[in-house]
Amino acid sequence: MGEFKVHRVRFFDYMPSAIRAMAFNSRTERLALARADGAVEIFNFADHYFQEKIIPGQDGRAAEALCWVGQRLFSAGLNGEITEYDLENLKPKYTVEAYGGPIWAMSSNGEGTLLAVGCEDGTVKMFEILSERIQFQRNLDRQKGRIISLSWHPSGKLIAAGMMDMIRIFDAETGHSTYRLLVDRGFGPSRCKEVVVWSIAFLSDHTIISGDSAGKVQIWDGLTGTLVRTHPVTKWDVMALSVSPDESSVLAGTSEGTVIQFQFITATMDQQDKEWVRTRTFKNHSHDVRALVHTETAVVSGGMDTQLVVRPLLDKVEKNTHESALHKIAFPHRNLVCCAKKAGLLLFQFSDHLELWRIGESDGHGKPGDSLPVKRKPEKLIQLKRKGEHHICSSALSPCGGWLAYSTLSVVRLYRLQYNDNDISITKVSKLPKELRSVHQLCFSSDSSKLFASSSHSSVIVVALNQLECKYLHTLRPKSGSVQPVHLLCASEDGKWLATASTDCEVHVYNLCKQKLHCTVPVYSSCPTAIGIHPTTSNLVVAYADHQIFEYSLIQREYTDWSRKLQKQGLHRLWLERDTPVTHITFSSKNPAHIFMHDTFMFCIIDQSLPLPEARTMLYNQMTLRSLPEHERLRQSHAFKICKTFKHLMCVRLLEDHSVVVVERPLLDIMSQLPAPVRQKKFAT
Amino acid sequence: MARRQRGEAARSSSGKLTDEPSLTLPDSDDEAPEEVTFEDSKVEALRSMKQALDTARRKQKQSEDEAAKEETGEQKSKKKKKRGKAAHTRNLKGNYTVTMLKDQLSTSFQQQTAEEFIQSRLYGPGSCRTTSNELLSLENKRAINKSAAVQFVKKEWACKEKAKAEKLKKRWIHKQQIPPC
Repeated sequence: MGEFKVHRVRFFDYMPSAIRAMAFNSRTERLALARADGAVEIFNFADHYFQEKIIPGQDGRAAEALCWVGQRLFSAGLNGEITEYDLENLKPKYTVEAYGGPIWAMSSNGEGTLLAVGCEDGTVKMFEILSERIQFQRNLDRQKGRIISLSWHPSGKLIAAGMMDMIRIFDAETGHSTYRLLVDRGFGPSRCKEVVVWSIAFLSDHTIISGDSAGKVQIWDGLTGTLVRTHPVTKWDVMALSVSPDESSVLAGTSEGTVIQFQFITATMDQQDKEWVRTRTFKNHSHDVRALVHTETAVVSGGMDTQLVVRPLLDKVEKNTHESALHKIAFPHRNLVCCAKKAGLLLFQFSDHLELWRIGESDGHGKPGDSLPVKRKPEKLIQLKRKGEHHICSSALSPCGGWLAYSTLSVVRLYRLQYNDNDISITKVSKLPKELRSVHQLCFSSDSSKLFASSSHSSVIVVALNQLECKYLHTLRPKSGSVQPVHLLCASEDGKWLATASTDCEVHVYNLCKQKLHCTVPVYSSCPTAIGIHPTTSNLVVAYADHQIFEYSLIQREYTDWSRKLQKQGLHRLWLERDTPVTHITFSSKNPAHIFMHDTFMFCIIDQSLPLPEARTMLYNQMTLRSLPEHERLRQSHAFKICKTFKHLMCVRLLEDHSVVVVERPLLDIMSQLPAPVRQKKFAT
Repeated sequence: MARRQRGEAARSSSGKLTDEPSLTLPDSDDEAPEEVTFEDSKVEALRSMKQALDTARRKQKQSEDEAAKEETGEQKSKKKKKRGKAAHTRNLKGNYTVTMLKDQLSTSFQQQTAEEFIQSRLYGPGSCRTTSNELLSLENKRAINKSAAVQFVKKEWACKEKAKAEKLKKRWIHKQQIPPC
């Protein structure tokens, strides 16, 4: 098959950011997630939880609350501003100052006409949601303490607000506070501290459920203003609450990392009355759970440990199927590492800077599994800080290592790199074409003569690179008039083709010599997660979020025979049940029949000359094959050669000298740098 | 008076009012400027400062709108003006300069206070927190084959703690070797 020298890279100090808020749009099945660095991500729950869109963050802006109003997404943060996002151009559309100090909570009414925000100065401010913007309407009666959490009654007539030491119920029309519910403080040493009502939920039957910093979940009767029941659930804070769409189940997220479910059922068999009973406890996080969403069939939680966890409820989905499995999304579904194949360089993208490294060298030889001695250690060549307050959106390194580019929401920067012996010099290209603005993806051509940048409306801007200057050539546009952003860009090795994939599942291929659209791949129901163009056969290989693989011939403009064969036979069950999408496809110049692809937990070489695996055969058969004698091996081999030795892969690339670079980010290294978890005293430790 | 002030701009150094008709206030020996003139100049200064802030804010909003539209040649020159500190600085007559600060101080102060509030509630005193090392070491301590804490097991972690532990070990061994008296 193949023996590869593997450069195992673990010096990419990638640190994901904590999850602060989440909001689920049940109609479009999209989950919006806000991180502590200000980034907003959209996940498509209908398409294998694929991370469709990422809106990069900004210094000083972090969302405390997220809210969907129809197809529009709003966020509000401690900087006192409400932001609406442009999901087609992946940037904030506009911001509105609330003038109430830091905003702690935001919620829209059932009809989507009003947006209520809870502010530091004790006011609940109402904003009217108009078609292109929001407009301040009025304040509800100002209170003495800060408003930490908000919840509308489904009728839109009442609002429950969680504050310090109390909950207030407001009449939304008059603005006056009708009831004041006093929340008990904790006992013991926490008695002198005010209790913070971190989260609140108002149900249709006027039940109010609150979670507070004393670790209790309380059930209140909103009609009489009385406490019905107290459930002490944790010693630490209950930070998040979420109600199921049918209001029969409530989830509470705690600082311990547990999510506790309460269900509205009869406590014992013979009783008639239903009440809120604590049922299940889920422990899927090691750190505080700050955001929770209760969908119809699953519990979605996120918090300080930066992982998004989707736990399907076993009473809503069929047990022991792939549907009922736990999903943990720890890494982005994007490439943050760029590799210059010819120069042996790696570019790491962080939110605020870029790092350029030269990988190490080793002379030795050995058997499979050996660790070779390192002759020259990897070294960091450049650390480049970004310009402006927006975080880096995308970055690219040319295959020869001579050009480096990055883009943020406000700037695009291009640099020329020159290597003299042991020295490296970096020069900024000063006059960039004015067309290069608001680009989402960057990609260099394989001969480093052109830079491709994806812009609004799925268009691609092509600029030419010469020595120290950059000239605009032309813009490539698809015929379909798509408005969705392009999230994948791939240029072919021979410089003839450019393929783009956008989040509305469209894959377009442009002929660079003729400078126009060549063809559009038939639209598939799932979103493409990786694309690659074969250097010699000019076949486009696309991997989708549902783990399907298609091969499309660009010359014939139709699916290849191999692709049809694969579809007819179907992919192996274990391949389709993988957790993470394929994020990169590449090819080997030595073996044209090989396709390299990887996801977070494996990398795979698909050998198109070998037979496809049957449903009954073992998919992960590399270990078995190694133990078999030579003649048996050929009989039992199949096309999918999967290696699971390396985990938490951020990047797998094939260099020109046929060695493989594997960039891993062990989860343990990430966990060791997270903020302090709660101290749980375990017996015998 | 405002007019007179402008006329004398060339002469006055830092905007200090000179040659004012004196109107002595009771209890003051200093020459106080005429009430009317001070009010005028204050109003004038406030108005021009407000104008500068409005212009800067408008320019910022304009730049955001432009980023969304297609680029044209005319807008390029506007962008050049916006770059750098020049965007938020406006020169007034009389050697006055008004600069809009990057972050409005009051909002960032409030934001910081709010963040400190969360930080102190979650991680402050009485929050019962531990370190990541302890959390990750729990498994090591409760396993069948117990091993040391993760920071000692992993090679690259906690170099300082490892060095301290080495020193303590050497000291203990040395103590053991001293014969008891």
